[in-house]
Amino acid sequence: MKFECKDLDYVLRRQEPESLKALEAHAENCAACREQLRLWNEISAAATCMKKSWDTPQLWPRIHQALVSEMQEDTFRRERFPSKHKVQFLSQLEVLLANWRTAAAALALLLISLSSAWVLLRTPAPPSVPKPPSSEKRLLTEQTLREVESAEDAYLRSIEKLSKLVQSRIDQPTSPLLVSYREKLTLIDAAIDDCRANIAQNRFNTHLRMELLSMYQEKQRTLQELVKEE
Amino acid sequence: MLSLQQTIKEIPLSTRKNPDFPLNAERDLVEACRSGSLAAFEQLYEAHGARMKSIALNLLGNISDAEDAVQESFLKVYRSIGNFRSQSAVSTWICRILLNVCYDLRRKRQRRQQTPGLGPDPEWGGSADAADHPLRLTLEKSLSRLHPRTRAVFLLFEVEGFKHSEIAEILEIPEGTSKSLLFEAKQELRRLLFKSQREGRLNAT
Repeated sequence: MKFECKDLDYVLRRQEPESLKALEAHAENCAACREQLRLWNEISAAATCMKKSWDTPQLWPRIHQALVSEMQEDTFRRERFPSKHKVQFLSQLEVLLANWRTAAAALALLLISLSSAWVLLRTPAPPSVPKPPSSEKRLLTEQTLREVESAEDAYLRSIEKLSKLVQSRIDQPTSPLLVSYREKLTLIDAAIDDCRANIAQNRFNTHLRMELLSMYQEKQRTLQELVKEE
Repeated sequence: MLSLQQTIKEIPLSTRKNPDFPLNAERDLVEACRSGSLAAFEQLYEAHGARMKSIALNLLGNISDAEDAVQESFLKVYRSIGNFRSQSAVSTWICRILLNVCYDLRRKRQRRQQTPGLGPDPEWGGSADAADHPLRLTLEKSLSRLHPRTRAVFLLFEVEGFKHSEIAEILEIPEGTSKSLLFEAKQELRRLLFKSQREGRLNAT
Protein backbone atom coordinates (compact mmCIF):
# COMPACT_ATOMS: atom_id res chain seq x y z
CA MET A 1 0.00 0.00 0.00
CA LYS A 2 1.37 3.38 -1.02
CA PHE A 3 1.31 5.95 1.78
CA GLU A 4 1.47 9.73 1.47
CA CYS A 5 1.82 12.40 4.20
CA LYS A 6 -1.72 13.66 3.60
CA ASP A 7 -3.07 10.21 4.52
CA LEU A 8 -1.73 10.45 8.07
CA ASP A 9 -4.94 11.56 9.81
CA TYR A 10 -7.08 9.21 7.75
CA VAL A 11 -4.97 6.22 8.75
CA LEU A 12 -4.83 7.24 12.39
CA ARG A 13 -8.59 7.68 12.44
CA ARG A 14 -9.33 4.31 10.79
CA GLN A 15 -6.70 2.42 12.81
CA GLU A 16 -6.55 -0.38 10.25
CA PRO A 17 -3.52 -2.63 10.85
CA GLU A 18 -2.38 -2.69 7.20
CA SER A 19 -2.58 1.08 6.84
CA LEU A 20 -0.74 1.54 10.13
CA LYS A 21 2.09 -0.68 8.89
CA ALA A 22 2.31 1.42 5.74
CA LEU A 23 2.40 4.57 7.84
CA GLU A 24 5.22 3.20 10.00
CA ALA A 25 7.18 2.31 6.89
CA HIS A 26 6.63 5.79 5.47
CA ALA A 27 7.61 7.46 8.78
CA GLU A 28 11.04 5.86 8.66
CA ASN A 29 11.89 8.12 5.73
CA CYS A 30 9.65 11.11 6.61
CA ALA A 31 10.72 13.23 9.61
CA ALA A 32 7.42 15.15 9.86
CA CYS A 33 5.26 12.03 9.84
CA ARG A 34 7.70 10.29 12.19
CA GLU A 35 7.33 13.14 14.71
CA GLN A 36 3.55 13.08 14.43
CA LEU A 37 3.43 9.32 14.85
CA ARG A 38 5.82 9.48 17.83
CA LEU A 39 3.58 12.02 19.57
CA TRP A 40 0.55 9.90 18.75
CA ASN A 41 2.07 6.85 20.37
CA GLU A 42 3.45 8.80 23.28
CA ILE A 43 0.00 10.08 24.08
CA SER A 44 -1.19 6.51 24.48
CA ALA A 45 1.90 5.62 26.52
CA ALA A 46 1.48 8.64 28.79
CA ALA A 47 -2.25 7.92 29.13
CA THR A 48 -1.55 4.55 30.70
CA CYS A 49 0.30 6.41 33.47
CA MET A 50 -2.77 8.48 34.14
CA LYS A 51 -4.49 5.56 35.82
CA LYS A 52 -4.83 6.65 39.43
CA SER A 53 -4.59 4.40 42.43
CA TRP A 54 -4.47 5.32 46.05
CA ASP A 55 -5.33 3.68 49.34
CA THR A 56 -8.72 4.56 50.66
CA PRO A 57 -9.25 2.43 53.75
CA GLN A 58 -11.98 4.77 54.91
CA LEU A 59 -13.95 4.82 51.66
CA TRP A 60 -15.80 1.49 51.90
CA PRO A 61 -16.82 2.11 55.56
CA ARG A 62 -18.15 5.48 54.42
CA ILE A 63 -20.07 3.91 51.57
CA HIS A 64 -21.24 1.12 53.88
CA GLN A 65 -22.53 3.63 56.38
CA ALA A 66 -24.23 5.68 53.68
CA LEU A 67 -25.90 2.54 52.30
CA VAL A 68 -27.10 1.51 55.76
CA SER A 69 -28.56 4.96 56.34
CA GLU A 70 -30.22 4.86 52.94
CA MET A 71 -31.69 1.42 53.65
CA GLN A 72 -32.96 2.55 57.05
CA GLU A 73 -34.60 5.58 55.48
CA ASP A 74 -36.17 3.29 52.89
CA THR A 75 -37.55 1.03 55.61
CA PHE A 76 -38.85 4.06 57.49
CA ARG A 77 -40.46 5.43 54.35
CA ARG A 78 -42.03 2.07 53.55
CA GLU A 79 -43.47 1.81 57.05
CA ARG A 80 -44.65 5.37 57.23
CA PHE A 81 -45.75 5.94 53.69
CA PRO A 82 -47.47 3.42 51.46
CA SER A 83 -45.69 2.09 48.45
CA LYS A 84 -46.41 3.29 44.95
CA HIS A 85 -48.69 0.31 44.29
CA LYS A 86 -50.43 0.85 47.58
CA VAL A 87 -50.94 4.50 46.76
CA GLN A 88 -52.34 3.54 43.38
CA PHE A 89 -54.68 1.00 44.99
CA LEU A 90 -55.80 3.54 47.59
CA SER A 91 -56.42 6.18 44.99
CA GLN A 92 -58.45 3.71 42.93
CA LEU A 93 -60.37 2.76 46.04
CA GLU A 94 -60.92 6.42 46.76
CA VAL A 95 -62.33 6.93 43.27
CA LEU A 96 -64.58 3.94 43.74
CA LEU A 97 -65.75 5.25 47.10
CA ALA A 98 -66.33 8.68 45.67
CA ASN A 99 -68.41 7.13 42.88
CA TRP A 100 -70.27 5.01 45.38
CA ARG A 101 -70.99 8.08 47.49
CA THR A 102 -72.29 9.93 44.44
CA ALA A 103 -74.49 7.00 43.51
CA ALA A 104 -75.80 6.74 47.09
CA ALA A 105 -76.55 10.46 47.21
CA ALA A 106 -78.41 10.27 43.90
CA LEU A 107 -80.42 7.29 45.14
CA ALA A 108 -81.29 9.09 48.40
CA LEU A 109 -82.40 12.15 46.43
CA LEU A 110 -84.58 10.00 44.19
CA LEU A 111 -86.19 8.29 47.19
CA ILE A 112 -86.91 11.64 48.88
CA SER A 113 -88.45 13.02 45.67
CA LEU A 114 -90.63 9.94 45.18
CA SER A 115 -91.83 9.91 48.78
CA SER A 116 -92.61 13.64 48.65
CA ALA A 117 -94.60 13.15 45.48
CA TRP A 118 -96.45 10.22 47.02
CA VAL A 119 -97.30 12.26 50.16
CA LEU A 120 -98.55 15.18 48.07
CA LEU A 121 -100.73 12.97 45.91
CA ARG A 122 -102.21 11.11 48.89
CA THR A 123 -103.03 14.17 51.04
CA PRO A 124 -106.61 15.52 50.40
CA ALA A 125 -106.59 18.89 48.87
CA PRO A 126 -107.41 21.70 51.33
CA PRO A 127 -110.77 23.50 50.87
CA SER A 128 -110.36 25.94 48.14
CA VAL A 129 -110.03 29.46 49.41
CA PRO A 130 -112.05 31.84 47.26
CA LYS A 131 -109.81 34.07 45.37
CA PRO A 132 -110.12 37.70 46.31
CA PRO A 133 -112.00 39.65 43.70
CA SER A 134 -109.80 41.36 41.33
CA SER A 135 -111.32 44.70 42.40
CA GLU A 136 -109.79 44.31 45.86
CA LYS A 137 -106.37 44.32 44.34
CA ARG A 138 -107.14 47.62 42.74
CA LEU A 139 -106.54 51.01 44.24
CA LEU A 140 -110.23 51.79 44.03
CA THR A 141 -112.47 49.16 45.46
CA GLU A 142 -116.00 48.72 44.33
CA GLN A 143 -117.32 50.39 47.43
CA THR A 144 -114.88 53.30 47.26
CA LEU A 145 -115.75 53.72 43.64
CA ARG A 146 -119.41 53.93 44.53
CA GLU A 147 -118.59 56.57 47.14
CA VAL A 148 -116.46 58.49 44.60
CA GLU A 149 -119.24 58.31 42.02
CA SER A 150 -121.85 59.53 44.48
CA ALA A 151 -119.57 62.40 45.55
CA GLU A 152 -119.00 63.14 41.91
CA ASP A 153 -122.74 63.22 41.27
CA ALA A 154 -123.23 65.62 44.20
CA TYR A 155 -120.40 67.79 42.93
CA LEU A 156 -121.87 67.67 39.46
CA ARG A 157 -125.29 68.72 40.82
CA SER A 158 -123.79 71.70 42.58
CA ILE A 159 -122.00 72.70 39.36
CA GLU A 160 -125.27 72.27 37.47
CA LYS A 161 -126.93 74.68 39.95
CA LEU A 162 -124.20 77.20 39.29
CA SER A 163 -124.57 76.65 35.57
CA LYS A 164 -128.34 77.36 35.75
CA LEU A 165 -127.54 80.65 37.41
CA VAL A 166 -125.51 81.88 34.47
CA GLN A 167 -127.24 79.87 31.72
CA SER A 168 -129.29 82.80 30.31
CA ARG A 169 -126.20 85.01 30.04
CA ILE A 170 -124.16 82.32 28.34
CA ASP A 171 -126.88 81.46 25.87
CA GLN A 172 -127.21 85.14 24.89
CA PRO A 173 -123.84 86.76 25.51
CA THR A 174 -123.94 90.51 25.55
CA SER A 175 -120.23 91.13 25.61
CA PRO A 176 -117.11 89.52 24.06
CA LEU A 177 -116.04 88.41 27.54
CA LEU A 178 -119.24 86.42 27.94
CA VAL A 179 -118.63 84.92 24.47
CA SER A 180 -115.16 83.76 25.50
CA TYR A 181 -116.58 82.36 28.77
CA ARG A 182 -119.15 80.47 26.71
CA GLU A 183 -116.44 79.06 24.46
CA LYS A 184 -114.36 78.11 27.45
CA LEU A 185 -117.29 76.34 29.09
CA THR A 186 -118.05 74.58 25.78
CA LEU A 187 -114.47 73.35 25.63
CA ILE A 188 -114.53 72.19 29.27
CA ASP A 189 -117.83 70.36 28.69
CA ALA A 190 -116.38 68.66 25.60
CA ALA A 191 -113.33 67.61 27.60
CA ILE A 192 -115.55 66.38 30.44
CA ASP A 193 -117.60 64.31 27.99
CA ASP A 194 -114.44 62.75 26.52
CA CYS A 195 -113.12 61.96 29.97
CA ARG A 196 -116.38 60.44 31.09
CA ALA A 197 -116.44 58.30 27.94
CA ASN A 198 -112.96 57.00 28.82
CA ILE A 199 -113.96 56.39 32.43
CA ALA A 200 -116.96 54.38 31.21
CA GLN A 201 -114.51 51.96 29.65
CA ASN A 202 -112.41 51.71 32.81
CA ARG A 203 -114.31 52.79 35.88
CA PHE A 204 -111.45 52.00 38.23
CA ASN A 205 -108.93 54.29 36.53
CA THR A 206 -107.97 56.70 39.28
CA HIS A 207 -105.95 58.88 36.99
CA LEU A 208 -108.93 59.60 34.73
CA ARG A 209 -111.07 60.33 37.75
CA MET A 210 -108.53 62.87 39.00
CA GLU A 211 -108.49 64.45 35.54
CA LEU A 212 -112.29 64.63 35.56
CA LEU A 213 -112.24 66.23 39.00
CA SER A 214 -109.79 68.92 37.85
CA MET A 215 -112.11 69.62 34.86
CA TYR A 216 -115.09 69.92 37.14
CA GLN A 217 -113.12 72.24 39.36
CA GLU A 218 -112.15 74.31 36.34
CA LYS A 219 -115.79 74.51 35.25
CA GLN A 220 -116.78 75.43 38.79
CA ARG A 221 -114.20 78.28 38.92
CA THR A 222 -115.25 79.52 35.48
CA LEU A 223 -118.93 79.54 36.48
CA GLN A 224 -118.10 81.25 39.79
CA GLU A 225 -116.21 83.93 37.86
CA LEU A 226 -119.22 84.42 35.62
CA VAL A 227 -121.44 84.76 38.65
CA LYS A 228 -119.11 87.42 40.05
CA GLU A 229 -119.17 89.26 36.69
CA GLU A 230 -122.81 90.03 37.20
CA MET B 1 -35.56 -11.54 50.47
CA LEU B 2 -33.38 -10.41 53.35
CA SER B 3 -34.75 -7.75 55.59
CA LEU B 4 -32.64 -4.77 56.48
CA GLN B 5 -32.03 -5.88 60.06
CA GLN B 6 -31.14 -9.41 58.94
CA THR B 7 -28.75 -8.04 56.36
CA ILE B 8 -26.96 -5.83 58.83
CA LYS B 9 -26.78 -8.58 61.45
CA GLU B 10 -25.74 -11.38 59.14
CA ILE B 11 -23.13 -9.44 57.26
CA PRO B 12 -21.12 -7.45 59.75
CA LEU B 13 -18.59 -4.88 58.59
CA SER B 14 -15.72 -7.01 59.85
CA THR B 15 -16.38 -9.68 57.22
CA ARG B 16 -16.04 -7.29 54.33
CA LYS B 17 -12.63 -8.52 53.19
CA ASN B 18 -13.88 -12.08 52.74
CA PRO B 19 -17.61 -12.03 52.31
CA ASP B 20 -19.28 -15.38 52.81
CA PHE B 21 -21.80 -14.61 50.17
CA PRO B 22 -21.21 -17.03 47.31
CA LEU B 23 -21.54 -14.58 44.50
CA ASN B 24 -19.84 -15.76 41.37
CA ALA B 25 -21.89 -14.62 38.49
CA GLU B 26 -22.64 -10.99 37.80
CA ARG B 27 -26.33 -11.77 37.70
CA ASP B 28 -26.24 -13.24 41.16
CA LEU B 29 -24.34 -10.22 42.37
CA VAL B 30 -26.98 -7.89 40.96
CA GLU B 31 -29.75 -10.00 42.48
CA ALA B 32 -28.05 -9.90 45.86
CA CYS B 33 -27.62 -6.14 45.61
CA ARG B 34 -31.25 -5.88 44.66
CA SER B 35 -32.22 -7.75 47.80
CA GLY B 36 -30.29 -5.19 49.85
CA SER B 37 -27.24 -7.28 50.65
CA LEU B 38 -24.42 -5.06 51.85
CA ALA B 39 -21.95 -7.88 51.22
CA ALA B 40 -22.98 -7.87 47.58
CA PHE B 41 -22.43 -4.14 47.41
CA GLU B 42 -19.03 -4.63 48.99
CA GLN B 43 -18.18 -7.20 46.34
CA LEU B 44 -19.26 -4.71 43.73
CA TYR B 45 -16.98 -2.14 45.34
CA GLU B 46 -14.08 -4.60 45.40
CA ALA B 47 -14.58 -5.32 41.71
CA HIS B 48 -15.13 -1.80 40.40
CA GLY B 49 -14.07 0.62 43.14
CA ALA B 50 -10.47 1.11 42.02
CA ARG B 51 -11.42 1.87 38.44
CA MET B 52 -14.21 4.15 39.60
CA LYS B 53 -11.82 6.11 41.80
CA SER B 54 -9.37 6.50 38.92
CA ILE B 55 -12.04 7.70 36.48
CA ALA B 56 -13.47 10.09 39.05
CA LEU B 57 -10.08 11.56 39.90
CA ASN B 58 -9.20 12.06 36.25
CA LEU B 59 -12.53 13.74 35.63
CA LEU B 60 -12.68 15.82 38.78
CA GLY B 61 -8.98 16.34 39.44
CA ASN B 62 -9.51 16.15 43.18
CA ILE B 63 -9.21 13.16 45.52
CA SER B 64 -11.86 14.36 47.91
CA ASP B 65 -14.37 14.97 45.14
CA ALA B 66 -13.44 11.68 43.50
CA GLU B 67 -14.17 9.73 46.68
CA ASP B 68 -17.42 11.63 47.15
CA ALA B 69 -18.36 10.75 43.58
CA VAL B 70 -17.67 7.05 44.14
CA GLN B 71 -19.74 7.08 47.31
CA GLU B 72 -22.60 8.91 45.63
CA SER B 73 -22.43 6.50 42.71
CA PHE B 74 -22.87 3.53 45.02
CA LEU B 75 -25.90 5.16 46.58
CA LYS B 76 -27.32 5.71 43.11
CA VAL B 77 -26.55 2.09 42.23
CA TYR B 78 -28.48 1.02 45.32
CA ARG B 79 -31.39 3.29 44.45
CA SER B 80 -31.62 2.18 40.82
CA ILE B 81 -30.51 -1.44 40.96
CA GLY B 82 -34.18 -2.40 40.73
CA ASN B 83 -34.28 -0.92 37.23
CA PHE B 84 -31.11 -2.65 36.02
CA ARG B 85 -32.18 -5.16 33.37
CA SER B 86 -28.83 -6.86 32.68
CA GLN B 87 -28.96 -5.63 29.08
CA SER B 88 -25.55 -4.11 29.63
CA ALA B 89 -22.63 -5.20 31.78
CA VAL B 90 -22.61 -4.05 35.41
CA SER B 91 -19.25 -2.39 34.82
CA THR B 92 -20.57 -0.18 32.03
CA TRP B 93 -23.76 0.55 33.93
CA ILE B 94 -21.84 1.61 37.05
CA CYS B 95 -19.44 3.63 34.94
CA ARG B 96 -22.34 5.49 33.33
CA ILE B 97 -23.71 6.33 36.77
CA LEU B 98 -20.28 7.47 37.92
CA LEU B 99 -19.78 9.73 34.91
CA ASN B 100 -23.13 11.39 35.52
CA VAL B 101 -22.30 11.88 39.18
CA CYS B 102 -18.93 13.38 38.23
CA TYR B 103 -20.55 15.78 35.77
CA ASP B 104 -23.06 16.84 38.43
CA LEU B 105 -20.33 17.34 41.01
CA ARG B 106 -18.21 19.35 38.60
CA ARG B 107 -21.14 21.56 37.71
CA LYS B 108 -21.82 22.18 41.40
CA ARG B 109 -18.18 22.92 42.05
CA GLN B 110 -17.96 25.30 39.10
CA ARG B 111 -21.03 27.17 40.34
CA ARG B 112 -19.45 27.35 43.79
CA GLN B 113 -15.97 28.42 42.77
CA GLN B 114 -16.48 29.82 39.28
CA THR B 115 -13.21 28.15 38.34
CA PRO B 116 -13.34 25.34 35.84
CA GLY B 117 -9.77 24.22 36.53
CA LEU B 118 -9.50 20.53 35.99
CA GLY B 119 -5.78 20.12 35.99
CA PRO B 120 -3.89 17.74 38.24
CA ASP B 121 -4.94 17.85 41.84
CA PRO B 122 -2.39 19.57 44.12
CA GLU B 123 -3.43 17.04 46.73
CA TRP B 124 -2.50 14.31 44.29
CA GLY B 125 0.78 16.15 43.85
CA GLY B 126 1.35 15.23 40.27
CA SER B 127 4.56 13.59 41.35
CA ALA B 128 6.37 11.57 38.79
CA ASP B 129 7.49 8.16 39.97
CA ALA B 130 9.74 5.67 38.20
CA ALA B 131 6.88 4.23 36.17
CA ASP B 132 5.63 7.66 35.23
CA HIS B 133 5.74 9.13 31.75
CA PRO B 134 7.39 12.53 31.14
CA LEU B 135 4.37 13.66 29.17
CA ARG B 136 1.76 12.73 31.81
CA LEU B 137 1.52 16.13 33.50
CA THR B 138 1.37 17.97 30.19
CA LEU B 139 -1.20 15.48 28.97
CA GLU B 140 -3.37 15.98 32.04
CA LYS B 141 -3.24 19.73 31.59
CA SER B 142 -4.08 19.43 27.90
CA LEU B 143 -6.94 17.04 28.63
CA SER B 144 -8.68 19.68 30.69
CA ARG B 145 -9.06 21.75 27.51
CA LEU B 146 -11.05 19.07 25.72
CA HIS B 147 -14.79 18.82 25.52
CA PRO B 148 -16.12 16.68 28.39
CA ARG B 149 -17.42 13.93 26.10
CA THR B 150 -14.18 13.79 24.09
CA ARG B 151 -12.19 13.72 27.32
CA ALA B 152 -14.38 10.93 28.68
CA VAL B 153 -13.82 8.80 25.57
CA PHE B 154 -10.05 9.32 25.79
CA LEU B 155 -9.95 8.48 29.50
CA LEU B 156 -12.12 5.40 29.13
CA PHE B 157 -10.21 4.03 26.13
CA GLU B 158 -6.62 5.05 26.67
CA VAL B 159 -6.46 5.20 30.46
CA GLU B 160 -9.01 2.68 31.69
CA GLY B 161 -8.81 0.24 28.82
CA PHE B 162 -12.49 0.05 27.89
CA LYS B 163 -13.33 -1.13 24.38
CA HIS B 164 -15.17 1.13 21.97
CA SER B 165 -18.25 -1.11 22.27
CA GLU B 166 -18.21 -0.61 26.05
CA ILE B 167 -17.65 3.14 25.73
CA ALA B 168 -20.59 3.26 23.34
CA GLU B 169 -22.73 1.63 26.04
CA ILE B 170 -21.44 3.89 28.80
CA LEU B 171 -21.89 7.14 26.93
CA GLU B 172 -24.91 5.90 24.98
CA ILE B 173 -23.36 6.78 21.63
CA PRO B 174 -22.70 4.74 18.51
CA GLU B 175 -19.42 2.83 18.45
CA GLY B 176 -18.27 4.82 15.41
CA THR B 177 -18.80 8.04 17.32
CA SER B 178 -16.63 6.71 20.10
CA LYS B 179 -13.83 6.02 17.60
CA SER B 180 -14.22 9.46 16.04
CA LEU B 181 -14.18 11.17 19.42
CA LEU B 182 -11.03 9.29 20.38
CA PHE B 183 -9.32 10.39 17.18
CA GLU B 184 -10.39 14.00 17.75
CA ALA B 185 -9.11 13.83 21.33
CA LYS B 186 -5.74 12.44 20.31
CA GLN B 187 -5.41 14.82 17.40
CA GLU B 188 -6.09 17.79 19.65
CA LEU B 189 -3.77 16.45 22.34
CA ARG B 190 -1.07 15.87 19.75
CA ARG B 191 -1.45 19.45 18.59
CA LEU B 192 -1.30 20.77 22.16
CA LEU B 193 1.67 18.59 23.07
CA PHE B 194 3.51 19.57 19.90
CA LYS B 195 2.90 23.22 20.71
CA SER B 196 3.95 22.71 24.31
CA GLN B 197 7.17 20.90 23.31
CA ARG B 198 8.05 23.58 20.77
CA GLU B 199 7.54 26.30 23.40
CA GLY B 200 9.68 24.29 25.80
CA ARG B 201 12.49 24.08 23.29
CA LEU B 202 12.28 27.82 22.55
CA ASN B 203 12.41 28.63 26.28
CA ALA B 204 15.44 26.36 26.70
CA THR B 205 17.36 28.19 23.95
